[in-house]
Amino acid sequence: MLELLNFGFEFVEIFAFIVLATVGLAVIFGMMGIINLAHGEFILVGAYATTFTFDAGLPLPLAMLAGVVLTAVYGLVLERLIIRHLYGRLLDSMVVTWGISLVMIQLTRIVFGNTAPGIGIPYGQLPVVDGPIYYLVLAVVAVGVLGGLYALFTWTDFGIRARATMQDETTARSMGVDTDRMYMTTFAVGSGLAGLAGALYAPVMTVTPEYGTGFLIETFVAVVVGGASVLVGTVLASGLLGTVNAAVTNVAGTFMGQVAMLIAAIVAIRLMPEGITGMLADWRESRGESQ
Amino acid sequence: MATSDPTVKTAPAVDETGPDSSRILQTRGLRKAFGGLTATDDVDFALEAGELRCLIGPNGAGKSTFLDLLTGRLEPTAGKIYYDGADITGLPSHERVDRGISMKFQVPSVYEGLTVAGNLRIPLQRVVEPDAFDARTREILERFDLLAERETVAGELSHGQQQRLEIGMAMAMEPNLLLLDEPVAGLSVEETADIADLLREIADDDGVAVIVIEHDIDFVETIADRVTVLDGGSIFREGSIEEIRTDPEVKRIYLGEDR
Amino acid sequence: MGNSSAFWLGLAVAVAVLAALPVLFGLYAAEVGSVFLAYALLGMSLAFIWGYCGILSFGQVAFFGVAGYAFGIVAINAATLTGLTLAVLAALGVSTAFAAALGYFMFYGGVRDVYVTILTLVVALVLYTFMGQTAGGEWAIGDARLGGFNGMSGVPDLAIGVGSTGVEIGPLGHYYVTLGALVATYLGLRALVNSRFGYAMVATREDEDRTAMFGYDTTFVKLVVFTIGGAIAGLGGVLFTTQNNYVDPSVFGITAAALPVVWASVGGRTSLLGTVGAALAIQFVDYRLALSGSEWALVLIGSLLVFVVLVMPEGVAPRLHEYVLEYREDADPSPVPRDSSAATEEVSD
Repeated sequence: MLELLNFGFEFVEIFAFIVLATVGLAVIFGMMGIINLAHGEFILVGAYATTFTFDAGLPLPLAMLAGVVLTAVYGLVLERLIIRHLYGRLLDSMVVTWGISLVMIQLTRIVFGNTAPGIGIPYGQLPVVDGPIYYLVLAVVAVGVLGGLYALFTWTDFGIRARATMQDETTARSMGVDTDRMYMTTFAVGSGLAGLAGALYAPVMTVTPEYGTGFLIETFVAVVVGGASVLVGTVLASGLLGTVNAAVTNVAGTFMGQVAMLIAAIVAIRLMPEGITGMLADWRESRGESQ
Repeated sequence: MATSDPTVKTAPAVDETGPDSSRILQTRGLRKAFGGLTATDDVDFALEAGELRCLIGPNGAGKSTFLDLLTGRLEPTAGKIYYDGADITGLPSHERVDRGISMKFQVPSVYEGLTVAGNLRIPLQRVVEPDAFDARTREILERFDLLAERETVAGELSHGQQQRLEIGMAMAMEPNLLLLDEPVAGLSVEETADIADLLREIADDDGVAVIVIEHDIDFVETIADRVTVLDGGSIFREGSIEEIRTDPEVKRIYLGEDR
Repeated sequence: MGNSSAFWLGLAVAVAVLAALPVLFGLYAAEVGSVFLAYALLGMSLAFIWGYCGILSFGQVAFFGVAGYAFGIVAINAATLTGLTLAVLAALGVSTAFAAALGYFMFYGGVRDVYVTILTLVVALVLYTFMGQTAGGEWAIGDARLGGFNGMSGVPDLAIGVGSTGVEIGPLGHYYVTLGALVATYLGLRALVNSRFGYAMVATREDEDRTAMFGYDTTFVKLVVFTIGGAIAGLGGVLFTTQNNYVDPSVFGITAAALPVVWASVGGRTSLLGTVGAALAIQFVDYRLALSGSEWALVLIGSLLVFVVLVMPEGVAPRLHEYVLEYREDADPSPVPRDSSAATEEVSD
């Protein structure tokens, strides 16, 4: 029973981590096909903003909110200055975002030095299972973010326009959707979500200029395994990778858990070269192809 | 060609007869289903060497699927394809190309970043030795009226020039069977007439069998030896252009719907 | 460009200048220069697969680093002439086989475009994480300790020979070996790129489906190109490691992985020489800045990358080439048709 609880807790912890780390990247990838190589550094912005506003005396939740908002604004500015010139040039946009990432890591180091003030993990420890209550809070937030995105894409005017743009940009534009504005908004939303990940994990992981790179492997793997469909892809990929990682971690330790997760990811990519949702889309398309 | 595999006997007798050697292309019981939808249904099709055949039919009749089955872009659910006396069902595309089946896509798909000569080199180096590149390139460019554009980057050509270049590239492979998907879509009247002449010439002078998918019935009339009408994935009618044109049933399913 | 006598003259001058550097600036310059030249090989491997076949790998450093580690492991355990020669072969073999395996897995698995790009980067990052946790004593192969983030030290110098006949290659020799390897690789790739296979590569880059319809096995073309790219990156890795006598996980890190992309993007991915030039220039500036204690090198490099991709997406060398052509046309108003070798221009350097 305890075994099962431990596994459950492990799964919740990893699932939340992958979802929160990935979802901002997935929103941008799903919408624009761009993999934002500076995603880790957007997370970094969120973490630093949270750390410093908390250090200045803001209550933690407000400090985190500041992290989210600042990162979203930052993303918006970058989108207007640089990213928007690269629409339709997928590989170039990836290369450019990598350049941005290099600059941001080094600038952070120059401006803030190699360490930032720490934030203790709030809320104390869980009974029975060995782990902080805060991890459960993270899981609740992760599910909340997924639910929020689902609502956003399904029920709001923005969501419907966004999905139309995703399906077929030209048609969307001809139907009066301002696709330029859509991309701008999506980029800001994706950045804000990256900031959220940075803010939420600021108490858990030591904040350094390389803080963002600690998220990279999981996020890239999850986006590639998930494919282009934001919500379904993120949930399925995080579920799959989280399950494998948690199960093996429980038996053989953290490092082997990571290794097992990567092997699972590799097998998944081999079987589904365009991700889980790419496969689903192919399957749907082939059923309707003769139309 | 009939197989001794006992499981075949329980299937419909589509596989029992071999190819007719006088035909360059034959299909037997060709079927392609996507999930629950059948795009190509039990098609028995035959083509003589040097014949120019047009495939017509309403949208969704399965014309493009049929062509994709011939090139190997799609694998059939059932049935056989015989080319030049041999069973080519299941062969990968590039092996079919090596046997002499050439394809021109619906949208012009030249290599936009390469020059016209560079474009031609891609198919040419598959079939001739390097010392013959120049001579063959010149020959093809002359025939397809692109000599002046030899060093032009293909992306800068007009739509009609791109269509000609693409047919030239297909012909550079020295095929015995040429498949074209709407070669005159979006072309002007003059350009269409040029392509019509070229296709007739390819069939008559080079002896290449040609299958053309086409919507424009006037264009079909100027070029086709025979016409095959597809509907709902099956062959609906087959005959000379006069027979097809005056067939009231064809009018109903095709002409009536489109015009 | 590419075939004119001016081009060959320029190339000869450039090689002569590089060859003269140790004479002019001494041994220390040779040691530093060796590292830059090894980086140039790494950059060329990316320009080759990305510029000519459209495979954007963000993880060329994986092959570079794997070759370095493989050389170190064999060489530390068998530091004889024969052993070191075998270590070179083993390192090249391992990096080539690794690239072939990864390429087979990706291309025959139908993995394409951005997925290839991200997958290759993930491979490099995973190697970084993996090598980073090898600090413990159990992570040793024979006498070679992997050493975690402290790296593997005591890697012997390059040497070629069998038994007792052969040469150990010192710092000066190493510089010329590396320069020779770079020039030979360039000439070899140039010949390959202008061959039939080169056209198949470019056609695959331009439109893979179309090219398959002409009877090319494009999946195989990509596999071969990717494998050759891995072998060249591996060669760079061996020369890098033997120069430093040391290798650590930072060769796989996100910053190291970015560098080849910077060189190829800035120099021009369709120009092997442009990429080499960018690698040498950027690393030289980086080195000078580091020497002066400045922390701004990475900021500069990142900004340069952003600037170049925004302003001249094709890179510096192809842009210069265009200017030269325009200048020549202006200088010579008679409508002389461009020579027939122009047809090879789209693939030659």
